[in-house]
Amino acid sequence: MRFLKITKWELKNTLSSKKFITIIILQFGLLILMMSFFNMFIGSIESEDGISLSPSLSKFASIDVSDNNSFIITNLNKEVLDIRLVDYNNSLKRLRDGKTTAIIVSPENPREKIESFQTINIDLYINSEDPKQSVVLNEVNSTLEALSTSISDEWINSLIPPEKIVDPEVKEEKKGEFLPLQIIKKMMIAILLFLPLFLFGNMVVDSIVGEKERKTGEIIIAMPLSHSDIIMGKNLAIILIIALQTAIWIITLLIAGFNIKNPQLVYLIVLLTSVPIIGITSVIATYSKNYKEAEIGLSLVYIIMVGFLIIPALAYISTRSLSSNISPMTLVMRIFSGEAISGVDFIIPIFSILMVSLISFWTSIKLFKRDDMVFGPRPNLIRIIMDFLGIKKREFK
Amino acid sequence: MIKISSLSKYFGKIHALDNLDLEINKGELLGIIGPNGAGKTTAIRIICGILKPDSGDVVVNGYSVLKDPIMVKSMIGYLPEEPNLYERFKARDLLRYFGELYGVPKDNLNNRINELLELVGMENRAEHRINTFSKGLRQRIAIARALIHDPQIIIFDEPTMGLDPATSLAIRGFIENLKGEKTIVLCTHYMDEADTLCDRVAILNGGKVRDMGTPEYLKAKIHGDIILEIKIQNQNIDTEKIHSLSSVESVNLNGKNLSISLSSKQEISDILRLIGNNMISINTKEPSLEDVFIHSIK
Ligand SMILES: Nc1ncnc2c1ncn2[C@@H]1O[C@H](COP(=O)(O)OP(=O)(O)O)[C@@H](O)[C@H]1O
Ligand SMILES: [Mg+2]
Repeated sequence: MRFLKITKWELKNTLSSKKFITIIILQFGLLILMMSFFNMFIGSIESEDGISLSPSLSKFASIDVSDNNSFIITNLNKEVLDIRLVDYNNSLKRLRDGKTTAIIVSPENPREKIESFQTINIDLYINSEDPKQSVVLNEVNSTLEALSTSISDEWINSLIPPEKIVDPEVKEEKKGEFLPLQIIKKMMIAILLFLPLFLFGNMVVDSIVGEKERKTGEIIIAMPLSHSDIIMGKNLAIILIIALQTAIWIITLLIAGFNIKNPQLVYLIVLLTSVPIIGITSVIATYSKNYKEAEIGLSLVYIIMVGFLIIPALAYISTRSLSSNISPMTLVMRIFSGEAISGVDFIIPIFSILMVSLISFWTSIKLFKRDDMVFGPRPNLIRIIMDFLGIKKREFK
Repeated sequence: MIKISSLSKYFGKIHALDNLDLEINKGELLGIIGPNGAGKTTAIRIICGILKPDSGDVVVNGYSVLKDPIMVKSMIGYLPEEPNLYERFKARDLLRYFGELYGVPKDNLNNRINELLELVGMENRAEHRINTFSKGLRQRIAIARALIHDPQIIIFDEPTMGLDPATSLAIRGFIENLKGEKTIVLCTHYMDEADTLCDRVAILNGGKVRDMGTPEYLKAKIHGDIILEIKIQNQNIDTEKIHSLSSVESVNLNGKNLSISLSSKQEISDILRLIGNNMISINTKEPSLEDVFIHSIK
């Protein structure tokens, strides 16, 4: 229990230091900023106007439509195209004068033709010198595709008795535009939840590398404490601070209106995830000679760790593969979006968290026990690994 | 009390300690003197359980530092070479922090802190932050910190290095006060400091003890080199004749300074007669620990 004394003092010092308070406020500012940015982003995606990621595209090209039966005109994208209903002869003149990019001509009585299984032709005249032609071509193609799908759906539905169509048991699989929106939304919440975990690396570095840089390690190690007391005591203090901040952060997200189901469980898993992250950071800190080295190490390892969290989560959304459960982020995502989770789903992420935590803290303590890690000269990595494996160096005499 | 046996330590290829043997008795003040790089700090760090030796062991009060490091550490108060303290702490909080970690009982701690602050003359700076302290004040607080758990053994590594003469004197005073009561190891490269304070002195060089004993014993060992330093008016001196005296080992005339090395004091009056009233002043220089040191590391 000696390490609790270290924890107590580390907490006391950290919580009362001005530097820490400033960092926490800055972190919070950053998180709030990201949150409002995400909110805005989602807002604009969900808005009635649909996705208008490039506002400059609105009314980008003009098209003349000759369509007496309103067969096509209602389906064309009014956001992008400037649509004008004109008669055929008049439009041809406009096309030649470069006043419009294209003309689309709908056939006479299209619906009757469809019902009698006749092919219908839609003519598109394009000004081939106009650079906007490709946009028009795209728009027209997708409109026609949508049109033909809806016509065939309509026809198929007309063959089935109406009571068979409405089946409350069968959930409609959302596809098309909705999937990316779902992904973006889930990923954003997941990132917002896990992001704070990566903001504490500097505190671990300060707490461990600081002892080397300020040469205070000597008086700490001279105290009647074991090396593991020191490492665990210091890291526990930081995990407790993370526990505090993550709690405040989740409450903030809930207040801000983010839809997080089962927030207690989400909190617990996010917090558990901090343990291996702090463990790995601690390994880097015990190995590093100075702040600079530690920071380079942290940047590299954090990229890998963020990848380890995010990539399986993305894979889960797109393929639902079970192996993506290895990332706690996947688990958290499933919990906060209200999916039914069974006990088995917890096994893989919890096991991976435990293993990484155990190995990293063990390594960190082992490294810290080596006096050459604190006082130098630091041996090379191969030497250290060989020592771990118990391979002795040849004695030189 | 402390038994160091065949201690070796390498730093990469540097052989800092080479089969070091040393025994420190209970209640004595042992000085370890030696030039920079002799291995003093390394030896001390191993005693304190901070460094691990490549071979050998240190037994403190029956506990091996390799097998029971925590037990050994709790018996030792250690003042490192550089008084690096936690800058952001206030002096009193620093002492409280270390007091708690050393397991000083809560109800004793406040008294102990006040006592120590008074001892090192820092009562009025107790609520100031360490980062506002000069080197001398830091060293005072560092000494108080080393004593917080009232250890039986105190180890000082170069306690007066780089300090002004007044602070050095004060610190030597603290050490003098502890003498007799505690077992003390004092590492220094100031020979006069070791000479005035220590019961016994070990001369360390190249990671080995070259000689060891009381300062008097060590000085007597190289006795004979009594040096007469005489200032003269003019160089009209028959150095040949002085040299022919049996106890004279060497004569050196350097401007108006005549320096004569003698193996005994018997013929001093003969020498003085030879110089006559050419002499302005005379000074005898007895061997210092410094001479012993230079002699023993030759
Ligand atoms: N951490 C270290 N890394 C490399 N060399 C060291 C280290 N500590 C001490 N040494 C070397 O070991 C020798 C003894 O050093 P030290 O014990 O500090 O001597 P002293 O305290 O007597 O001045 C010196 O040559 C020194 O350079
Ligand atoms: Mg030294």
